[in-house]
Amino acid sequence: MSATPSAPVGSRSYTCNWCGAVSDGTSLSCPSCGATINVKEIVTPTGWIEMPGRKDMAKLQIGKSSCQIEGLYVPAADFNLAAEDGVYFAHHVLLWKENSVNISMMSMKGAWKRAFAGMPIFMTQAKGPGHIAFSRDLPGELLALPLQAGQAVDVREHFLLVATDQVDYGWSNTNIWFNTKNGDETETHYPLGMFLDRFSASKMPGLLLLHASGNVFVRQLARGQSILIKPTALIFKDTSVSMQLHFEHPHSGWNLWMSYIQRYLWLRVTGPGRIAIQSAFEPVEDNGQTITSHSPATRQQW
Amino acid sequence: MVQPAQTDAVERLKCNWCQGINLKTALSCQFCGAPLDLKDVVSESGWREAPRLKDMTEFHFFNSTCQVEGEIVPVAEINLAQGDGIYFEHHVMLWKDPTVPMSVLQLPGGMKRVLAGMPFIISVAQGPGRVAFSRDATGELVVLPLHPGMELDVREHAFLLASANITYSFERIKGLRNILFGGQGMYMDRFVTTNQSGLLILHGYGNVFERTLKPGESILVEPGAFLYKDSTVQMNVQMQQLTTGLFGGSAMSLAQMVGPGRVGIQSMYVHHATE
Repeated sequence: MSATPSAPVGSRSYTCNWCGAVSDGTSLSCPSCGATINVKEIVTPTGWIEMPGRKDMAKLQIGKSSCQIEGLYVPAADFNLAAEDGVYFAHHVLLWKENSVNISMMSMKGAWKRAFAGMPIFMTQAKGPGHIAFSRDLPGELLALPLQAGQAVDVREHFLLVATDQVDYGWSNTNIWFNTKNGDETETHYPLGMFLDRFSASKMPGLLLLHASGNVFVRQLARGQSILIKPTALIFKDTSVSMQLHFEHPHSGWNLWMSYIQRYLWLRVTGPGRIAIQSAFEPVEDNGQTITSHSPATRQQW
Repeated sequence: MVQPAQTDAVERLKCNWCQGINLKTALSCQFCGAPLDLKDVVSESGWREAPRLKDMTEFHFFNSTCQVEGEIVPVAEINLAQGDGIYFEHHVMLWKDPTVPMSVLQLPGGMKRVLAGMPFIISVAQGPGRVAFSRDATGELVVLPLHPGMELDVREHAFLLASANITYSFERIKGLRNILFGGQGMYMDRFVTTNQSGLLILHGYGNVFERTLKPGESILVEPGAFLYKDSTVQMNVQMQQLTTGLFGGSAMSLAQMVGPGRVGIQSMYVHHATE
């Protein structure tokens, strides 16, 4: 691990290493993302940046509204919404709310496809004034991603905790799949899920809060630089980062057929841009049967 | 539980969590283990974090002690003195000295409890000796010393252990609507002290927050997040209708808690599906 000190700008102003926001440096945490200020960034020799520590009760400011992050094991995001300010979320992450906060449905485009893919077909939206809080049901970290106007990120499905109204919500096919055949039956597998959520701030800056399991690590890939990650470990990526499948077969000295049965499924991500992964992830489902077709992929036989 | 007499207020420290009186030199409360050298952590909306018990913190009840070990899935290790006892659901027992005698608490309404999915058998351990307890998920121990005359309602299966002098019963959740949509099951555990203090330890999933509601003040809580409440707090189900023109919509049930009294919630909870 190496440590890089955060860079103060000017006499008092402070530029957050995590989100790049400039603040006056008088508070203990960045008002845009809640990262503790004036702490050294923890970077592995391979370039993975550990998500910056966040002090309990760190407060984020979003226009007239604010958000306080409470707790460390399974943190809750407690929004104090100003009148007319709003957020949206999947309804099962709601922890508590005040009576004054109105909640309603936000319908989504492509509902049938989303339902077929196991994604939420409805989002719930809440309007201020008042407090409303959210948390998920897994130990992990909250990632605050302030999005500037024109900025977008691709997020794996089910990672959204809550987003402010200024953030547009869309989705696209992952185009990461493979088919296996067992007798006459063909099964299609989506190691990353069928769809990726895309969150973008078109006109106004907004805030996106994600919840990841375990610890979160972020890496900046240079143009053309690629790395193999477990598909289920991906949290988000910049839209400029491309993805494809990678099949890896370990060396087996005595039987070529057996070596093809043993395979590792990877997601190859190629820069430029950021990727974020979580340290607690589900095993990738692979029944080990013959792959008959797949999305664009690379292969390595050792 | 015996508390030192408050003869010299300057030399004593009052615990903000359990109101126990401690010597001024103490770093943690001798009755609940809450750190005395740290400020309360309270959100702007009024939720107070349950005290984060430092690893290996020790506190006392009667002539026995409890040591909290670990921080991610903490263990409560009880050193029971001769004549002291505790009760618990048997599946939370982590280890014990072979010499610690075990028995079973006689419970009224056994059939009702079985039908409601509540533990039919509550185990009892008597001192002397050591017994340790933990649950199966990341979370916090919530140490609640109960003063005489207190009544506390606890989500079923959330209590880790209680001292033998606390009366254990169960309270049927009132109203079919509450049972069907409240997400609490049919019953809540009720712990009552009469003329003696007692110790109750809960395990909350994730982080635990407490809020004290004024008379008539209310808050809406995800039913799966409810952990405990004073018996003075009323709990009702409130349906939130969520509709869209195309799909007709759905309904979400939230638990409305109405003061006066304390309400405790956990940040990691079992989600109960909407209709």
